[in-house]
Amino acid sequence: MFNYTFHWNQALRALPQMLDGALVTLEIALLSMAIGLACAMVLTLFRLSGNRVLSGFAAVWVEVARNTPALFQIYMAHFGLGNFGIHLSPYAALLAGIAFNNAGYLAENFRGALKAIPDTQARAGRSLGMSSLQAFRYIVMPQMLRIAFLPATNQMVWAILMTSLGVTVGMNTDLAGITQELNARSFRTFEFFALAAVIYYVIAKAVTLAARAFASRMFRY
Amino acid sequence: MRIPVLAFGLLAATALTSPAQADKLDDIISSGTLRCAVVLDFPPMGSRDDSNNPIGFDVDYCNDLAKALGVTAEIVETPFPERIPALMSGRVDVGVASTSDTLERAKTVGMSIPYFAFEMAVTANEKSGIKSFDEMKGKVVGATAGTFEAIALEAQVKAWGEGEFRPYQTQADVFLALSQGQLDATVSTSTVAQANVKTGKFPGIAVVGKAPFDVDYVALFTNREEYGLINYLNLFVNQQVRTGRYAELYEKWVGGELPDLSVKGVYR
Repeated sequence: MFNYTFHWNQALRALPQMLDGALVTLEIALLSMAIGLACAMVLTLFRLSGNRVLSGFAAVWVEVARNTPALFQIYMAHFGLGNFGIHLSPYAALLAGIAFNNAGYLAENFRGALKAIPDTQARAGRSLGMSSLQAFRYIVMPQMLRIAFLPATNQMVWAILMTSLGVTVGMNTDLAGITQELNARSFRTFEFFALAAVIYYVIAKAVTLAARAFASRMFRY
Repeated sequence: MRIPVLAFGLLAATALTSPAQADKLDDIISSGTLRCAVVLDFPPMGSRDDSNNPIGFDVDYCNDLAKALGVTAEIVETPFPERIPALMSGRVDVGVASTSDTLERAKTVGMSIPYFAFEMAVTANEKSGIKSFDEMKGKVVGATAGTFEAIALEAQVKAWGEGEFRPYQTQADVFLALSQGQLDATVSTSTVAQANVKTGKFPGIAVVGKAPFDVDYVALFTNREEYGLINYLNLFVNQQVRTGRYAELYEKWVGGELPDLSVKGVYR
């Protein structure tokens, strides 16, 4: 039994406010992706370094990031660190949590991509007189980024959706935070959440399509 | 041939129309169970005891209501933001969930007359040096998302034009953040503030004064069109006060001066 009359008018009037929130959502997702990619690159290099401490560090990061809920990671960034007197604002905690998660998954993407590149290519580079770093930089890395690109867009979509977990640490300027607040004020749960779902869908779809268009232009053989 | 068809048609028609008249009050009485939405991280109104049983003012209030109706009470734990979805999806019959009776919300749900009234208090982290409501200006403050005090405090922070407001999803998270120093101060109902400070789970915080917000009257709620049930709820609230049960429950869970549930100079 579903006994409810929809008041779409009220929800549509809040649309500009929600779109402002969507911008914040997108901003956090993009930043977390940039930080995540940089960290994933470093983690990949750590793994390749052959140094036990460095590769161990990378392994722990990847294990924790991939095998615990994003909610836990974000909560820990805010309340966990807060326990030790390190105070991240909700925005920073959300960004840190998602970037941490992104880095773990992207490092795995890179690992998969590396496996797809035959060892012989790097060796061929070495035999031409390149250093191992040069062989990585000029031969392996460009191919790795190309192979990892589309899986990485998946992570971008995931990052957008993960921003909605920010409400658990007091985030109130992103799309989920604004939706929660509008809902609390008026109790029009279903309208506001339906509208938020549509906005999330549109952002995620736009990102996927843009990435695909970018890939087909950039990676022509 | 014709008569059986007609008879069957009549029979079908009466079978279809008559039970549709039963309203929610009938449904509750005939099902034998009253399902109440209660917020259980909001002591002393709702919480859990050591053996995880729901306790609190709202829990007792629901039990009283069920007793009056002659049915058994079922406490459905409902966090603040989920009160309305729980009602709309038919998981609960009535909300006994410290719900402020704002006009905005009354567009969506039907509110009874007030069954409880809160005054607002400021609780601060001792390191912040905040000693009164006005000293919260420019500081990082927070409250439980979606509550009367959160809405009022956020508006106040906007009016001050400086400082930051953070809504957390549960009352426990607010006090945790306050105790850690992530928040400098919070505004909550004075009953909740005292109950949380008393638990000792949140060191370094103290209730420092009153917040000059309006008295927060809270009501029972159910579906907006269920006049029969709303009518019953109104009479029930009235009877709770009349019989002294309201005062008894207040003394048991809160203590101190009993808040007046009527507004001077106007009916209802």
